[in-house]
Amino acid sequence: MKIQHLVLMAALSATAFAAAPALAKDWTSVTIAMEGAYAPWNLTNPDGTIGGFEPELATVLCAHMKVKCTVVASDFDSIIEGLNSNKFDAVMDSLSITPERLKVIAFSLPYANTPAGFETVKGSPLENLAGTGTALKLSGDPAKDKAEIDKFRDAFKGKTIGVQAATVYTKFLDDNFASVATIKEYKTTSERDLDLIAGRIDAGFDDATAEQAAFQTKGNESLEYTGPQIGGGIWGPGQGVGLRQADTDLKALFDDAIKAALADGTVEKLSQKWFKINLAP
Amino acid sequence: MELLTTLGFGQGGWGGLLLLGALMTLAVTLVALAIGAVIGSVVAWAKLSRGLLPRFLGDAYTTVFRGVPELLIIYLIYFGGSRGVSAIGAMFGAQGFIGLPAFLAGAIGVGLISASYQAEVFRGSFLAVAAGEIEAARAIGMPQLLRFRRIIVPQVLRFALPGLGNVWQLSLKDSALVSVTGLAELMRQSQVAAGSTHLYFTFYIAGGCLYLVLTTLSDRVFGAAEKRVAKSFRAGLGRG
Repeated sequence: MKIQHLVLMAALSATAFAAAPALAKDWTSVTIAMEGAYAPWNLTNPDGTIGGFEPELATVLCAHMKVKCTVVASDFDSIIEGLNSNKFDAVMDSLSITPERLKVIAFSLPYANTPAGFETVKGSPLENLAGTGTALKLSGDPAKDKAEIDKFRDAFKGKTIGVQAATVYTKFLDDNFASVATIKEYKTTSERDLDLIAGRIDAGFDDATAEQAAFQTKGNESLEYTGPQIGGGIWGPGQGVGLRQADTDLKALFDDAIKAALADGTVEKLSQKWFKINLAP
Repeated sequence: MELLTTLGFGQGGWGGLLLLGALMTLAVTLVALAIGAVIGSVVAWAKLSRGLLPRFLGDAYTTVFRGVPELLIIYLIYFGGSRGVSAIGAMFGAQGFIGLPAFLAGAIGVGLISASYQAEVFRGSFLAVAAGEIEAARAIGMPQLLRFRRIIVPQVLRFALPGLGNVWQLSLKDSALVSVTGLAELMRQSQVAAGSTHLYFTFYIAGGCLYLVLTTLSDRVFGAAEKRVAKSFRAGLGRG
């Protein structure tokens, strides 16, 4: 009796193995994870639904891919491990493409690349510098970029610019503005903003979306952008959809959809809506 | 006034979401405590057993689960559990991924930790039962199972109650770690509300207050139960 059972089990599992599809999955539905607590990239509404820049972009991308998408909330700390243990198929959570992350997951093309910009206090002499409200794409080639930066560099003559220490932005200021201005480094951006409002420094330099978030915080109402939004890949490749390395077919789908959304202006429209600046890479 | 709208239950208020989070925390902790009670009593039995192997296994269990950070255990169950379930599923021909739901993974994780503490509580309570009581039961010819049901369980539970109250509070706070799985419990909902509105201070304070409400209320429940149980103890042993 027992042996018969065993044989039956073995036979059953053998057929099961044979029947199991071994090859590429046909992508009809995709689960996309985001934190749901990183406004305005993605956030949770008081009624529990998820909204923000990334969920709306996901809807557009999925319509283009002709795939049914489900957005799920996940904690940020466990989001990469969750992707790799198949809890979901994709991650859209302001995930910057970095060499360290590329070792464990794959990325789609970037759908955003946050620019950096100067901030100052309303009414300051640095208000409305040349190029305010425009985007300046730098090539990363110092010779070419110098000419662009020269257009507004002299405005900072004798001024003090505050920046968070040990960031890519510190290096940029040291390379381009140390000759005319004093660069003051801060441990946190909120300390810098307090000093800016108090008048101890004349301007700040940071990731523009971080500044935007700070502008909306109570007590920071007097802060505003000045000068152009500086981007163009000098801060890194930007933010892309995180995917499993094995899912090359899904990466192709996302890449195609992101190209289309960049080309028809959807990314720009959505980022203007949520960030009031253009994040398109 | 603005605060009332933010934390209220009307349009644009987060009160409902936070309250649901608190209920989810309560549910996870209750299930965890139940899982812990079952595993905990088995472990307590093993630790008290005369056999070398059960005693070793019991000691190993309480050492490991009390000694390893709670967060690590939850990660292990949430990620490892799903991989394990998927692997077993694949052996029987199921395709692809079978998820271990966040609620179950969280409850098992917190439950396993709670079991190690409950085992110690049960062991201590068992040792507190007067040896004469068991001897007397044996002397009148009570069979082992009846002895367990009539003499040991009621007394162990009585002695264990204050200790279990402690374990309950521990588990309630451990359940906050389940937020890493994305389960919509109180900690996670406070984070979500804070991150979505940039009102970090407001929502973490509100979340903290709700935890305090939960612990204070459960303290009352355990206090009342202790008082009730104390009646049947000899004077001097119990309170009140």
